[in-house]
Order: sequence, then C-alpha cells, then structure tokens
Amino acid sequence: MKLDRDEVRAIALEGRLSLTDAELEGAVRYINNFLDMVDRFKELDLKDVEPFAFAESVECPLREDVVDVFPDREEILAARSDGTESLFRVPRIMEE
Amino acid sequence: MSEKELIFTPVIGIEIHIQLRTKSKIFCTCSADYTNDEPNTHICPVCMGLPGSLPVLNRAVVEQGMIAGLALNCSIVSPTLFFRKSYYYPDLPKGFQITQSDLPIAASGWLDIKDDAGAPKRIRINRLHLEEDVGKLHHSASDGRLEGAETSWVDYNRSGLPLAEIVSEPDISSAREAVEYVTMLRRRVRYVGASDVDLEKGMMRFDANVSMKCSDGRWGRKVEVKNMNSFRALERAIDFEIKRQIKVLKDGGEVLQETRHWNDAREVTRASRVKEFYRKFIVEPDLPPMIVAPDEVERARATLPEMPDRKAARYARELGLTEVDAAVLTDSPDVANYFEACVARGANPVRAGNWTRTEVLRVMGERRIDATELPVKPEALAELIRLIDDGKLSTTLAKSVFDSMLEGLSIEEAMKKGGVAEGGVGEGALAKLVAGTLAANPDVVDEIKAGKDVKGKKIKFLQGLIMRETKGQARPDEVTAAIEAALNSK
Amino acid sequence: MRLHESGVREIAAGIRAKKFSALEVFEDCLARTTACEGKISALITTAADEGRQQARRIDERLAGGENPGPLAGVPVMLKDNICTRGVRTTAGSRILGDWAPPYDATVWALLREAGAVLLGKTNMDEFAMGNTCGTSAFGPTANPWDVTRVPGGSSGGSAAAVAAGYVPFALGSDTGGSIRQPASYCGICGLKPTYGMVSRYGLIAYGSSLDQIGPFTRNVEDLALVMRILARQDSKDSTSTCGTRGECFSELRGDIKGKRVALVRDFRDFTLDPGIAEAMKRTIAALESAGAEMVEVSLPTVGRYAVACYYAIAASEAHTNLARFDGVRYGYTVSSSAGLKDMFQEVRSHGFGAEVKSRIIAGTCLTEPVRSEQYYVAATRVRSLIAKEFAEAFENADCILQPVTPSLAPEIGEVDDDAMKGYESDLYTLPINMAGLPGYSFFTGGYDAESGLPVGLQLVGPRWSDGELLNTGLALEKILGAPVIAKAGI
Repeated sequence: MKLDRDEVRAIALEGRLSLTDAELEGAVRYINNFLDMVDRFKELDLKDVEPFAFAESVECPLREDVVDVFPDREEILAARSDGTESLFRVPRIMEE
Repeated sequence: MSEKELIFTPVIGIEIHIQLRTKSKIFCTCSADYTNDEPNTHICPVCMGLPGSLPVLNRAVVEQGMIAGLALNCSIVSPTLFFRKSYYYPDLPKGFQITQSDLPIAASGWLDIKDDAGAPKRIRINRLHLEEDVGKLHHSASDGRLEGAETSWVDYNRSGLPLAEIVSEPDISSAREAVEYVTMLRRRVRYVGASDVDLEKGMMRFDANVSMKCSDGRWGRKVEVKNMNSFRALERAIDFEIKRQIKVLKDGGEVLQETRHWNDAREVTRASRVKEFYRKFIVEPDLPPMIVAPDEVERARATLPEMPDRKAARYARELGLTEVDAAVLTDSPDVANYFEACVARGANPVRAGNWTRTEVLRVMGERRIDATELPVKPEALAELIRLIDDGKLSTTLAKSVFDSMLEGLSIEEAMKKGGVAEGGVGEGALAKLVAGTLAANPDVVDEIKAGKDVKGKKIKFLQGLIMRETKGQARPDEVTAAIEAALNSK
Repeated sequence: MRLHESGVREIAAGIRAKKFSALEVFEDCLARTTACEGKISALITTAADEGRQQARRIDERLAGGENPGPLAGVPVMLKDNICTRGVRTTAGSRILGDWAPPYDATVWALLREAGAVLLGKTNMDEFAMGNTCGTSAFGPTANPWDVTRVPGGSSGGSAAAVAAGYVPFALGSDTGGSIRQPASYCGICGLKPTYGMVSRYGLIAYGSSLDQIGPFTRNVEDLALVMRILARQDSKDSTSTCGTRGECFSELRGDIKGKRVALVRDFRDFTLDPGIAEAMKRTIAALESAGAEMVEVSLPTVGRYAVACYYAIAASEAHTNLARFDGVRYGYTVSSSAGLKDMFQEVRSHGFGAEVKSRIIAGTCLTEPVRSEQYYVAATRVRSLIAKEFAEAFENADCILQPVTPSLAPEIGEVDDDAMKGYESDLYTLPINMAGLPGYSFFTGGYDAESGLPVGLQLVGPRWSDGELLNTGLALEKILGAPVIAKAGI
C-alpha cells in the first residue's frame, strides 16, 4: 500500500472533495491500484524520450487583436446560483 | 564577534505583473478595457471558463510580450508552451490559470541601475512570461461595510486580461534599488508601447522576495511580500521587511519561509493567515506550442526606440541637461520626440528642455493630450525660442505668444495679436517710455536718488512697468540701462 | 419501410424530393423514440418542441424554393456533453444542474446549418468517464439488442438511439473508445476521427488531448456524408488542424485491392470471446476476398503500457478540466452562507459521482509536485513511444484490423470490484487516442452464437487516413452487410 487513508483524504481535499468513510475506503483501494498500474513506467528507460504534447508538430494559431463582444452576456449571468445586479456572490473570503 | 558588528545584506528579487496593451483579452475577443464599465460586462464563455469553451491566443499579446522582453534585454525563446496552473479560488473561473510559467517567451535579460553608493549595478532578469489575469473580488457586507463582511463578490471583467510576469534574479539589495529598478522597467515597457503600466488602474503590481544574508554566515529564509500596488508601497514594504528580518536575526531568532501581506494603511507586513495555494502544473492541452519566427524578432528589435534611460543619459552628456530634467523629458516617447524635434530645428537644448518640461507638459496635462496632439508643433516652438535667444522677445511675452499659438494662431499672427512688432523696441521709443514712466513716479525716482534702493528693487519696479508697457517686447537689460541713463542725466 | 428506419441519405433525399416532409420524419422518429424509451433510456433530454420547430422551418424553406442544406430535415441526437444553446446540457452529471449553455458547440452549429434537426440529448457516462453508461447520474441505458445488457460507453445513449432506430445518426465523443466501443456493442458504425479533424469547441472536456467528436450511423456512406459536414477547420479550437482534409470523405470507392491490412502480433495471445474471434476470421476472409493483403505489425509498448499511460494522462487532464465546477458561476450549488472551502467541497462532493471523484483524486495525486515527474511527465514520455510505435507500424501497413473489446456487452450492473480490470478491457481502443489516430468501428454482419449480440471490430489507420478507413469499411460492408435496426421488443 503506497498511500494510506490520511494521505488519500488530503489529496481528495486538494481536489475540493470531502469523502464519506465508505467513499474513502474505496478511494484508497482505487488509488493504490492505480499507482500499481502506472508504476509499470519504471520498467522503461525514458531519459531521452521527449514528453508528448501534441499529435503532430502544429503551431499555436494566433487570432487578430479584434474586439468582438459576446452578445449573450445575460444568459451567462442568468446561470448564476447567487448574485445581485451583475456580480457573482461567494461566501466571505478572509483576505491577508 | 560581538552582536554589534554583525552585517546584514538584504537579498531581494522582484516579480512584476504588467497588463500588456491590447484591444482584446488574451484568449477571447472580449474588450481589454474595462476601466469605467459595470461589473461582468466583458465576459464570454471563454473568459468565464464555461464548459466546452477553448482558448485562442491573441497575436498582439505575443507581439507585446516579445517587445517588452526585448526592451528588458531579454532573449526571445521559441518554441514555448502554455501550462495549466491549478488552484481553487472563485476569481479563477476554470480552476486553473493558463500561464507560460517557466517556459517563457523572453528570458535572461537585465537592467543597469545604480547601487546605493552611486556605482553602476546590473539587475538580472530571469524571465518574462505570458499569462492570463484573474477576476476581481470585492468584499462587503450587505450594507456596503468592509469590516465584518459576510459576502464576497466576483467581477470577471479582468478575467483573461493579458499579463506579462517579469521575474528578476535576487540581485537587489535595498528598497531604493528596488524602486529604481521598477521605475526603469516601467518607463521602458511604456516607452516601447507594450503596456500603459498605469499603477492606479492596477496595470502594474509587485511582489517581492526578501531574505537576509548575515555576516556570521547565517541565511534567513525567503519571505514573499505581496499586495504592493505603488512604488511607495514597494519601498516601504521592503524597508519594513528588511528591518523586521534584521531584528529577528539579531535576536537570535529564525526567519520563517512564509508569505506576508503588505498592509498599506498600517504600513506593516503581516503573515498571511491563508495557507499559500497549492499549485501544480500540467501542459495546457488546448494550446499547441507557440512559435515566434526569428525574422519577427529581428523586425521587432529593429523598430525598438532608444530606451528612456539611455536617452536621458545622452541628453545629460550631449545636450548639457541636468539628470532630473533629462529624466522628465524622456519619461514618455511623445514628449522626448517633441523635444528632439525642437532641438533638431536649431533650438537651444537647455531652453527647449525648459519649455518642454514646463509649458508643453502643463498644456498636455490640462488638455489630457499627448505631445503629438499639441497645436504648437516643435518647429514653431523652436522658432519662438530662437526669437528669445536673439533678444527679439522676452520670455514673458513669448509665453503669451505661445498661449495664442495654442489657440491655433501661427507665430506671426500670435505676435501681431500680442502687439509685438518683430525687432523689439526702437531706442528712441524706449527713451520716451522711460522718461514718461519716471515722470509718472516721482516718489520712486526720489528714493532711488536718495540712495535708498540698496537691493535694486525700485529699479526693478520701474523696469517692470516699462516692460508691461512694451508688452514684453523690450529687452530687460536694455530697459535697465535706459532707466539708469535717464536717472543719471537728471 | 417506416421513415425512422431510413438512413441519413434516404431521408435527406426524400425530403428534398418532397416524398415526405421534415415534420413527418421528425414525428415518426419521435414516435419511435417515445415507444422505446421506457425500455432503453437512451435520452437525458428530449428536444421535441425545439426539434419540431426546426423541422417545420425546414419544410417552409423547401416550400419557398430554398436549399436548406445537405442534411435538411434529418433528425439527430447529440451526446449530452455537446453544448446546445438553450437546451439543457448535463454531461451525464448532477453538477451541471439544469445548465443551458449560452452558446452552440461548433459541431452542432455545422449540423444545424446543414439542415439537421435536434431530437434529443443522449445519456452518457458522467463526464464521459466509463464504458457502460452506468456512471451517468441519470441512470443506465439499455442495449437495444438485449435490454439486460449495457450499450457500452461513454457514448452509450447515442449508440443505442441509432441502433434502435430513433434517429439515422447521432454524435458521440471518443476519449479512449467512447464511440467505437458502444458502436460495437450496439452493432452499428462509429468513427473516432483523427485528433484535430473535428472541432472540440463546445465539447465538455474530459481528456482534452484525447477527446474527439464523431458520428454513429447504420451504414458507412452515411458516416462519410456526416463527416463531410463535421470535418472543418475551426478558428475557435486551437487544436483544429483539419484544413481541407475533410475532402477525404468525398468519395468512397469500396476498392481495396492491394491494400495492406495488418494484425497486431502482440495482441495474438490475448483472450477474445468466441464470437469476436470468429468475427476476426470472417473479416480477414472478406478483406482477402476483396483483394487486400494481410500483414503483421508489432506494438509491444502499446500492449504493455498503453492502459496505464492512458489513464494517467486522462486523469491528469480531467482533474483540471473539472476544477471549474465550484458552484459559483453555473450548475449545481449549495447555499453560500458557509465558508468558501466548505462550499466548494460540498458542491463537488455532492455534484460528482463516484467514478468521477476517483479520477479527480487520481489526477490530483499524479500531478502533485512530488509525483508529477514520476507519473504525469513519465506518462507523456510513454505516450511519445506509443505514437512513434504506431507511426513505424504504418510504414508497413495501410491500416490495422483489431477487436474493439475482448468481450461482448456485459449485463447491466455487472461491475468489477477492481476498476483496473475494467480499464484493461479498453486496451484495444485507447492507444488510438494516445496517438491521435482515426479508428472506425463497424458491424461485422454476424451475431454471437450464444448471446445473439451483434459483433463489431475496428480498423485503425495513420493520422488523416479517415477517408481510407471508411473506404475499406465500404468494401467490407458490401461483403458482410450493413447494420440493421434492433427491434428492442416493439
């Protein structure tokens, strides 16, 4: 076992997930099986292998610097769970 | 070694975020100018991170990043990649920020400043990388109070604005050096047009990494100081942090590696209560590698203007201007160009500098225009200055002529309007004026004659009256000579 | 023949020739859908009103002498991770709530412009994570050939809908087999195009560097027709590299004389269900009878490492793609009176299902700074090896024939306790996504002797050989027969 309950719980919290005890049990099993699977990479000599980023040597396309206003801002605002006028509301955030 | 002999050397690196000057955001076509607009008016699926949306890179961001990099003596790197920097915060719509991070468009630059003893010092720049800005949080209670607010609000107008983050090496040793470095940097990026760097609009923000080296071999840990939004705040925060860390080390304590926030009102840094965000990176799979062609770099390099600090040094060296005046004249390229055009037309550089520094900047400020929009073209100002140099116009009258020219009159029309005949005041006419003035002020004449004008104030008074009569067209030295001649002959 | 049993081309031609109206087609397909849904549950949302309006509009335009496009009046269903403006889009998850996107995915915009009519949004594994449709927050979908069995996944709803004759075509997305596997389980045609062929704009991302949208149909020529509309360069997707390559779908000849079709040596010893092994033999015989030459290629790295590599990359990308779901801007949320962190955790813990949470945890774990090099970065290196291995294999072969899955559709609810075992069953599909290749899943004309389920296989080719794969597909379809509608007990 590579990761114990506390470690998995902490990782889940990094992903903003709080797990029930039963879920945590399953997650511990899952993640350790997962790590066993990806540990196969250790068999390979990858020193001189470039990381794969894109399927072929394509260049990032660039768009011209032109303003084109999205016409349906109201629909974006309408999807808010909570807010007034044109702001999105979130719980109080402690600054500093 | 006694405690008193310990020497502490600050080791400071600065991270600067500047907003690059573009019309639209970095990955979408929303307007980048949101200054006076209502919250969440410049939003779209991309900068709101709506499911399914994808980023498309703005060409101007790449160009401005490259130009800013060149202005800071960086090498341009190609190809580069974008990464996803993950953390959870409500102002970050996708839950990650798209950033070039440590595979930047520009790297290995420098700026030459002076150290606290006035000796030249090079501050190395690690990199300039491109990234997107996040939204803005507002904190308030329902009644608008900040204290005890139960709610925060998010405005995403700023989300997706193009930023360049400029990371220096830890070569800075004092708050003064830090300010000189950021001042020079700011002028350079504004000069090349890469950013408006308007501090009040938040277009330039600073973080500083401050640590201490102690002569007994101890090293304090690195403290990241955040939340400085002005040069003054940067200077005070660094000063505060240096003093704080020295005190900790002197007391035998340990400087903790932490993030501290500058509180501008209280002028202190405070340890951040929030645990520093946990940040991780993967390659941004939605953006293929970014390529900048070598000929594009060369083209950009060829069009770079002379940098303001170099220009200022040249003005001081070749044109005899003071360093302060040279710095003012080179602060923005339109003013420097105006001044140089004026000098190129034969104007005396010092006088041209004074006129530009005072009258030109005053009018620019009043009318909120730049130097290219000034109705008085540099050629006309050069002519006006020549008239002053040739003694054909007093400075005072020249100013009123200048004011008329601002209303659109040519120099000839302006002089005519002011009643100035070219060629000054004839000798005969001047003698007549002097006689008349002395006759009208017998009490003053008497006092002078009684030897009561030790400081020459009375003569100046008479001279002023005559100058006013001539609308300034007489030469002050000639007027004084004529008064003295008349007094002596009486 | 009832209208809903017709293919894309027949319906489009019939409407154009005014043999029947778009509305008649729509109503017949809707009736078929309504009649079967109780047993199949292929849909999350039925767009009856919107679709009916679109169909009426097509009829009006035809009556007015307009040409409403090559797909005029053809009903379509879209996987529910494809954004449709104003129509709820859930990605099979609770976390999106009733979110109706404010914009259209590029593929839907293209189809609508070509005259297609939306009938519904189909069920899928939550965020496309799964291969049974069983992780959907909206419950499972049944296989029309045997309602006790799964239709496959993640695009199971789309595959079931086409197989059951709801619509002549539907769109799915394929990250590791999510089009090809359900096409195979449901006995129809499905294409996972070359990465970059079809725009991903508006596709709710799972693994962005792997995702590709593609169609399901009941014959290969319909597939080509739909691809002619979908294969377009899109300036909204920076990874769209289609250019003019959509032309490869213009003409299928069905001639494969001299074509080298490869079997993978490293897959030889893997166990296959008897029905699938038998289908391999029949298909090889058909290929040879059509003049193709059977060859062998070796993919040793694929055989041993592809599954691990795929899940590492997919989870790493997925956990960033899913970071945006925090309840602030859209979708499922909880009262925000709690603290920020509490709110995020509550939204995500209740909004996501178990499989999605597992993969978020895996992605978070693998990309943590301490593990990133060992797992995430290592996986991207292994991916390079896999892509290279395929490229080398295609130096000696025009395409590869291989199974889609080692076994036929399992029963609903038949879950393996060890998720990794389930992942292993994706061995034949996911390497194709790792290398960005096209994969064509087709019905072999045969049914498993024991279960009666249809048996499919797949052809895999080098990048941009999509047209050639379909050409080979046409040659096979002529010999093996085209898919037929599953009667689904009605």
